[in-house]
Amino acid sequence: MAIDAGSPAIRARQIGVEEGLRVVELFIGPQHPASGHMRLVVYLDGDVVVKVDPDIGWVHRTMEKLAETREYVKTIPIFERMTIIDSCNITLALVQAYEALLGVEPPPRARYLRTILCELNRIASHLYGLGIGGIFLNHSTMYMWAFGDREVFLTLAEMLTGARLTHTYVVPGGVRRDLPQGFTDAFAKAKRYMLRRLKEYDKIFLRNPVVRSRLEGVGVLERAKAKSLGVVGPNLRASGVRYDARMLGYAAYGELEFEPVVGEYGDSLERIWVRLKEIETSLDLIEQALRQLPEGPVMAERYLKMLPPALRKLVESTGRVKLPAAYVNLRPPPGEALSRAEAGRGEIVYYVVSDGTDKPYRVRVVSPSFRNAVLFMVLPVGHRFMDLPAIYASLDYFPPEADR
Amino acid sequence: MSAVGEAERRRAPNPVRAHLEAIAAALSRALKPPMTLMYPDVVEELPEGYRGVIAYRYERCVGCGLCARICPARAIKMYKVPGDKRMRPGYDMTRCIFCGFCVDVCPVNALEHTKIHDKAYYELDSMVLDPVEWAEFSRRLIEEQSARSRSPNLVRAVFDEEVGLRYERLRRS
Ligand code: SF4
Ligand code: SF4
Repeated sequence: MAIDAGSPAIRARQIGVEEGLRVVELFIGPQHPASGHMRLVVYLDGDVVVKVDPDIGWVHRTMEKLAETREYVKTIPIFERMTIIDSCNITLALVQAYEALLGVEPPPRARYLRTILCELNRIASHLYGLGIGGIFLNHSTMYMWAFGDREVFLTLAEMLTGARLTHTYVVPGGVRRDLPQGFTDAFAKAKRYMLRRLKEYDKIFLRNPVVRSRLEGVGVLERAKAKSLGVVGPNLRASGVRYDARMLGYAAYGELEFEPVVGEYGDSLERIWVRLKEIETSLDLIEQALRQLPEGPVMAERYLKMLPPALRKLVESTGRVKLPAAYVNLRPPPGEALSRAEAGRGEIVYYVVSDGTDKPYRVRVVSPSFRNAVLFMVLPVGHRFMDLPAIYASLDYFPPEADR
Repeated sequence: MSAVGEAERRRAPNPVRAHLEAIAAALSRALKPPMTLMYPDVVEELPEGYRGVIAYRYERCVGCGLCARICPARAIKMYKVPGDKRMRPGYDMTRCIFCGFCVDVCPVNALEHTKIHDKAYYELDSMVLDPVEWAEFSRRLIEEQSARSRSPNLVRAVFDEEVGLRYERLRRS
C-alpha cells in the first residue's frame, strides 16, 4: 500500500526533519484518547519512542478538598465518582476509615455483601479494561464482547443495589440493602456463562496470533523494577509479586479462600492474562460468599436502634435500610484513620483526619491509577510507536481515578 | 480451570490452528442471539428497588427537612409554601444523582424511587420543581410508571448460561 505523503503523521515527521530535528514530539490526547481524558507527550526518533511524558490532571475534580466541605455520609458519592466503573471497591476503604473513626463495626452479613459487590465490580471493571484494550489493538470483537458481558455483571449489581454503576451501597455501619430474591440463581447462571466465555476469550484474544504478536514481550516490567516504582494491582502481580490488599482480610476476605493471581513475565500479555484469571477468582469468591452468607441484619445495631419501631419493622420486611436522622451529621471523635483495599486497578489508600466536627478535616486518597501512571514513562521507551497503544491497553489506566 | 492454563499459555500456539480457532469462536457466537436491548422500541422491566427519579407525596411529608440535609448533590431544597406553616422540599432534577439517601432518611416514607430515569425536557428550568410542582409531577410520574409496566413492548432481562442476558418479551403483541 502506498503511504499517503499528506497524512498528518508523515507530515509531522517531515516538519521535524525540515527543521533539522531528530526527535519529533507527538501529542496524544487530551480529548479522551482511551479510557478518559489524559495526554501523552511522546518523543519519537523515527518510529522509536525515546521518551513519554504522561500529562495527567485533566479530570481533576478537587475531590479531597470537596470532601472537607461535606458531611461524612455525603463524601461517599463524591469519591465514588473517582472510578465510576469500580465504585464499591473505590469507596469501601473510605467507609472503613470512617468506621474506624466512629468506632462502629459492620455486622457479618454486611461484610459478606460488601465482598460480593466488590467482586462484581472487579469483574465488570476488568471486562471494561479488556474491552478498551481490545479496541486499542483494533480488535473490535473483543471490545464488543467484553462490554456486552460486562452488562451481565452490571445487571447483577443493579439487582443488589438499584443502580448500575453508582451503587453508593457501602455506608458506615453496613450496607444499604439486603440480598434480593433470586440473586443466587441469577449469579449461578452468570458464573457458568462467564466461565464459558473466558474460554472463547482465550481463543479470540489471548491465543490469537495477531494479538499475541502485539503483546508478547512488549513493555516488560521486571519484578525488582515493579517493586521499586511502587506499582500496584494486576500490573504488579503480572511481574511476579505476590501482593494483593485483599490478603489483609478486610470485609469477608479473611473468611474466604483466596489466593491472588500472580504472573511471571511482566509483559503486556501477562498483565491482560492476570486480569482474565482474576475474573475467575472473583467468580469463585462470590460463590463462596453466597454459600457462607451469615444471617442477620445488614446495618449496625447502633444505627438501627435509633429508628422508630415502625421503620425498624419496615427495614426487616423490605430488606432496605432506613437511615436515622443522626446519620445526616455523623460526628466521629477527633482522630485519624488509615485504610486500604484492593480496587480493580490495585491498592487504594485513604487517610482521614477528624477534628470532631461533622465534616472530615482532611481526606487523602492515593489511587491505584495514580501509582501506575509512572509506567507510561518507563515501559514504552525503546519500543516502536505502535507498541504504545498495546502497552496502554495492558495497563488498564483510568485517568479519572488518577486525577481524583 | 477454564481460561488458558499456565503451561498452555507459555506454549506459543500453532498459528494456523490458533487463527482458525479465533475465527470459529467468532462464528459460533454470531449464530447466537445478541444481548442487545432494543431501546426505546422496547421497555425494560427494571428490578424491584431500582433507583430512578424521586417521587414525593406532599400529604405524607412532615416537613422535617432531613432529605434536604442529607442530599449530597444539593438537589433538594426546603421552600416556603403559601398557606403552609412548615417548609417543604423542592426538587432539582438537574442535580439529582439518584443516590437515594433522601428516600432512606425520610422518616415517614414520603419519598420513593420510581423506576423512571429517562426523561427529556425542552427547558432546564422545567426540571426544577417547587414542593407543589414536585407533588403534582410525582403523581404523573407514578401514572407513567404503571403505564410503562402495562406496555405491550415490555421486556425483562433473564440470565442465561448460553448468551448471558436475554431480553424476554412479557406479552405477545
Ligand atoms: S436521590 Fe440523592 S441526589 Fe437525588 S434528591 Fe435524593 S439525596 Fe439528593
Ligand atoms: S425527609 Fe420526608 S418528611 Fe422530611 S421533609 Fe423530606 S420528604 Fe418531608
